[in-house]
Amino acid sequence: MKEKKHLEASCLKLGLERHGQPVLSEISCTFKPYELTAVVGPNGAGKSSLLQCLAGALKPTSGRIELDGQDAEQVPAARRARLSAFLPQAEVPAWSLSSADLVALGLLPWGRPADREQRVSAALNLVDAQQFADRPVTQLSGGELRRVQLARLLVGEAPLLIADEPTAALDIRHQLQLMQNFRRQADAGKTVVLALHDLSLAARFCDRVLLLQGGQLRAQGTAEDVFTPALIGDVYGVSCEFRWRDGVADFVPLDLL
Amino acid sequence: MLTQNKSALVLFALALPLALIAALASGPVSIDLGAALGDGWRSENSDAVILWQLRLPRALLAILVGAALGMGGAAMQGMLRNPLAEPALLGVSSGAALAAILMLYYGFSLPGFWGLAWQSGWLLPALAIVGAFCAVACVWLLAGRGASASRLVLAGVAINAFLSALMALALNYAPSMFAMQEIVFWLLGSLANRGWDQLLLALPFVLIGAVLLFCARNYLRALSLGEASAASLGFRGRRYPLLVLAGIASAVGAAVAVAGTIGFVGLVVPHLVRPLVRQDPGLLLWASALAGALLLLLADIVVINFVGAQELRIGAVTAFIGAPFFFWLIVSARRGQLL
Repeated sequence: MKEKKHLEASCLKLGLERHGQPVLSEISCTFKPYELTAVVGPNGAGKSSLLQCLAGALKPTSGRIELDGQDAEQVPAARRARLSAFLPQAEVPAWSLSSADLVALGLLPWGRPADREQRVSAALNLVDAQQFADRPVTQLSGGELRRVQLARLLVGEAPLLIADEPTAALDIRHQLQLMQNFRRQADAGKTVVLALHDLSLAARFCDRVLLLQGGQLRAQGTAEDVFTPALIGDVYGVSCEFRWRDGVADFVPLDLL
Repeated sequence: MLTQNKSALVLFALALPLALIAALASGPVSIDLGAALGDGWRSENSDAVILWQLRLPRALLAILVGAALGMGGAAMQGMLRNPLAEPALLGVSSGAALAAILMLYYGFSLPGFWGLAWQSGWLLPALAIVGAFCAVACVWLLAGRGASASRLVLAGVAINAFLSALMALALNYAPSMFAMQEIVFWLLGSLANRGWDQLLLALPFVLIGAVLLFCARNYLRALSLGEASAASLGFRGRRYPLLVLAGIASAVGAAVAVAGTIGFVGLVVPHLVRPLVRQDPGLLLWASALAGALLLLLADIVVINFVGAQELRIGAVTAFIGAPFFFWLIVSARRGQLL
């Protein structure tokens, strides 16, 4: 399993059309190792499409994605799967696999590594899910299933981790645990990209924020740069208050504008 | 749980040779099995001829066809992520059936070489395989680029409906009662009067199908997470769905071509064995092949031993044997144990 430890991913004038409608247009940005990036924006802003393009699940209609300077379309699918791991917004398992078997699917790009079982149980431990290792995934609650799916994302060795709304459906303990996990992954050198709706979590844990609106990149930078009442008010149509309390970000939406 | 599941599969594997012996021993005349085996397949003793030229190829064909149908069903359900899918959905069976019907119509009047080919019994299955491939190709083309599973099913339903209409039309205008009866019997499926020719014709196609599906096993596994996740795990593009479709067309097309349309196996066998392989869509291919082979062989033993004016239709017998298992499965699912 000798693979790249660090990976820089860039979008160059990325565009995507669906049924003749532009979903993404001219998005240029870079995701670096050691960085945890949050992609935020209102519903329909193109967050999921951007993440799917980045993960290779969607093919951009214009522009391109580069992985360490190489055009991602030129990277063979099997190799690209070892470079990036992706958790879509809604992943519905078709069969009632056991949790451990579902997590093991995350190792498919690496064949059958000898330490498969240890890896799977370590990944389940990371998300506090070792107690349902043998339970069929169809018998888990929404949040429990989400944690097992996150273990599937974390079980491999891909240097680029992409997750679409990983905190949705999780209780506050597991939201916090999850963000700390992603923070640790980034600190260990991985490139982590998350679509998030919770702006407080985004501000608190992420190094960088991309704000999307209507398929366009509206702003990017640190949370302080992006989460200004004026910009958030303009993009989301809400008045808000945003402040730091002992290093913890607190974002309070006040009223509709 | 796991060991229990494994022993069930081992039991299936052990039951297969026993069923094979039972199949060789069954028939309207009783033969001395040991002596016939000892005589070898070249012998002209009547017992040896019955064993080597009639019973053995028929039993092996039951195994081959059952395995192909079970495997095809498992692949189909895996690819469409749907436990209600069966190979017939792709038009494999109706494509093969329509080609076979056309042959049953015009086969007798073919001149020269083709007439001889018809009489030797391999022209009909060969054309039925071609028919199966054509039907699947139509479904693939109709569904179009990057088709989702649901679009594939819709295209399959449309092609199926069209082919069924053509078959009904063919029955309508059947030249004689005899031709009509031939067609109906063929549609119901049978292993009677099949020999080495049919077996050797179907074998390479089933093997090719198995190899193609083997290459797609990890795709089927990844698909249990959905199409976007499978793509991110490295299974992108048209290559993998095409691999599965070609595998199903080859294996199931060949099975239908030599045995007619035998329902139930492709739909229900994967359900029966899915709990035994921890729901793994990759292993399910081989477990379903094993269980399908066993089910069809047992059904054929019933058919052979049934004494009556008319031969039983094997499709009906598979359902009679398999349905009670299915009832049991549904009842235990109601208690929340399986499925």
